[in-house]
Amino acid sequence: MTDLRDRPITPVSLPEPTLTKPSLLHTEIMSLNVGPQHPSTHGVLRLVVDMDGEYVVKVVPHMGYLHTGFEKTFEARTYQQGVTYAPRTDYLHSFSHELAYVLSVEKLLSADLPERATTIRVILHELGRIHSHLVFFGTALMDLGAITLFFYCFREKEEVQNLFEDICGYRMNQGYFRVGGLSKDAPEGWAARVQKFVDTFDKHVDEYATMFQKNPIFLDRATGVGVISSELALDLGLTGPNLRASGVPLDQRKATPYCGYETYDFDVPTSTDGDSLARFNVRLQEFRESAKIIRQALARLKPGPVKDPNRKISLPPREELETSMEAVIHHFKLVTEGFHPPVGEVYVPTESARGEVGYYIVSDGGSMPYRVKIRAPSFVNLQALEYACVGGQFADLITVLATVDPVLGDVDR
Amino acid sequence: MALKELFERDWQELESGGVLFSSLEKLVAWGRSNSLWPATFGLACCAIEMMGSTDGRNDLARFGSEVFRASPRQADVMIVAGRLSKKMAPVMRRVYDQMPDPKWVISMGACASSGGMFNNYAVVQNVDSVVPVDIFVPGCPPRPEALIYAVMQLQKKVRGEAFDNYGTQLPMVDAWTR
Amino acid sequence: MTTTLDPRRDPLTPQFADWLAELGVQPDDSAEPTALVPAGDLLRVAALLKADGFMLLDSVGLDYSQYTEKKPARFCVLHNVFHPHDHRRLFLRVYVPDSVDGSGGELPTLYPVWKSANYLEREVYDLMGVVFSGHPDLRKVLTPDDLEGHPLRKDFPVGETPTLFRDGRFLDPATFRAGMNGQSAGLSGYKGGQRRGEMNEPLPPVMPEGGPK
Ligand code: SF4
Repeated sequence: MTDLRDRPITPVSLPEPTLTKPSLLHTEIMSLNVGPQHPSTHGVLRLVVDMDGEYVVKVVPHMGYLHTGFEKTFEARTYQQGVTYAPRTDYLHSFSHELAYVLSVEKLLSADLPERATTIRVILHELGRIHSHLVFFGTALMDLGAITLFFYCFREKEEVQNLFEDICGYRMNQGYFRVGGLSKDAPEGWAARVQKFVDTFDKHVDEYATMFQKNPIFLDRATGVGVISSELALDLGLTGPNLRASGVPLDQRKATPYCGYETYDFDVPTSTDGDSLARFNVRLQEFRESAKIIRQALARLKPGPVKDPNRKISLPPREELETSMEAVIHHFKLVTEGFHPPVGEVYVPTESARGEVGYYIVSDGGSMPYRVKIRAPSFVNLQALEYACVGGQFADLITVLATVDPVLGDVDR
Repeated sequence: MALKELFERDWQELESGGVLFSSLEKLVAWGRSNSLWPATFGLACCAIEMMGSTDGRNDLARFGSEVFRASPRQADVMIVAGRLSKKMAPVMRRVYDQMPDPKWVISMGACASSGGMFNNYAVVQNVDSVVPVDIFVPGCPPRPEALIYAVMQLQKKVRGEAFDNYGTQLPMVDAWTR
Repeated sequence: MTTTLDPRRDPLTPQFADWLAELGVQPDDSAEPTALVPAGDLLRVAALLKADGFMLLDSVGLDYSQYTEKKPARFCVLHNVFHPHDHRRLFLRVYVPDSVDGSGGELPTLYPVWKSANYLEREVYDLMGVVFSGHPDLRKVLTPDDLEGHPLRKDFPVGETPTLFRDGRFLDPATFRAGMNGQSAGLSGYKGGQRRGEMNEPLPPVMPEGGPK
């Protein structure tokens, strides 16, 4: 078990600018509008790019084309209903938002989580990370023109989604966690299916690696492109794989352990290059680390309850409703009104596939949150675009955008 | 078979010999329905399932709709996948206007069809108020199978085999429509 | 596992109080490590933290106008700073001095200190209406340009908007919900076990053309 504090920041510095152009040529700055409906913007991002010939001078992203009003909607829903909204922000790693939300509310309530619920949460959190990175590899390489990996990644993505569907009936946007546990226990044989998946997964990771790591066209487009220095990355508040690719070993799973992550043995992959290739490689190694965590978690999965026994938080089991009046009253109260957490403000950081996710929840003692602020990693990470693309060619912009891996639902919320 | 023979022989005789007769309209509609090229209009979570419908397992290519075109000018059907924010609505209308006729719209997911769970200031409550929708797909997100079924329903509509709520058969699109 | 966490991460330890005293700010009574920073002092504290290696992760805009407890000002901005190496976290709570016309106050921008403040402050400005003086590019970031007001303020309605149908009808949320309790036919046409089947029955009550008045 290594402590991240023992690992120094390996500084990444920017390469010398290679922008050379014949000085005799008279050029003019041209503004180019990319998006919001553009296949390479991963959704509905709009970029206004100022170009000098083929070189990018300035990039101005315009967000908000997917602004859904999550934070306002949370204020009009009870705490338990909010669980349904949280996964819809970052729909690729939906369990991260779900987890961050329920952890914050549980901190507010000082709920007591059973061991099994935490372990299943860890498994799903990591499966979600695998799911998100699979989509990243599929689509990022598709943006660069390599379409084959898409089909390989989506093959495993379907497998992961099957596992999600087995446990909660939803392929995406699960809403499976509850404040104080899980909505229901994992079905029989689910753990075995997860085990089967992670056992074969490392082999697939090697398969993905062969598909791009030696591909000269890909290497040309990714090596040394869009370098983000570690200093800039910290200044911009980047988190997640983008920051680790710039040489800063920061991972909230180790830095601020939640869900018992301090008891798992895993590594935090970093890179010292800070370019697009490094961001690919860091994510590739995270596949293996996630699989490692899942294997450890599966080994400690013991039968047991998955809900906080506190009747003021979690619903009574169905059988009890027929025999106990008290259970009926609790059920009625919880369903119609929800619980009333104490007044206070909480924040629990978690590590999603994109960086730090946290919900800053302000409670005024009512059954609905007073204010919910989502710390969205993609939104902050997107700022790197304005810096990493400048001086490169236009084609590099697509590479940088793909490797920064923003999810527009997370950006715009 | 020589052309002369074709005119001289009885049509029933010909049909038993493997020659099919149809109207040009039907032929065009059949061709159209089997190559419905969607415009990529992935907005939110539903777009991931839309992408999932083209992968190896679901394989939308079986129904001729795998060619997602980035340019609306090359597309026949717009799959509105996800929640449409008020900021995006004018953009979507513009993309729709840029598509050549005949064109169809599939509204995928609860958000696109009715605003879904987001009944708030930011989300358009019904894509139908921005563009005319042919097929609504329920679900949050709909499974790829549901999208494939929607494409199949749309194919029926294109071929003039669809019926409305009251049992009236819907006409197919004229073959000479631009 | 023998590693110990930095004691300054916990707001209850004396080390945390020492640290805040070193920074010259007051601790705030909160479950999270929070420091109360006067608006005029913000840049000085931020520069100190930046020199210490902190990064700015988030800015939270809060509107306390309907809060149960009395707060010194209506608006408050919380800057969430984090040390990437020894993993300390600190929330800088800055109450925005109330402006005279009630339009949200003004705070100094943190952009000269941390570049990440660029988008974060734009977001707070957009959704909360707090102005950051000196910000290089203070524009709307998430909401459409024609949206008036700042959605996350408490006096902005959630805005359950009626749905417009193609034939010009509106589906009003209140009418829709009325149909769910079985008392009225509502919009679903379902009432107490009977179903509206015939086409010539009157349409359910909907909003007049032009939307809600
Ligand atoms: S319907 Fe559900 S999955 Fe589709 S965009 Fe809306 S929230 Fe996302």
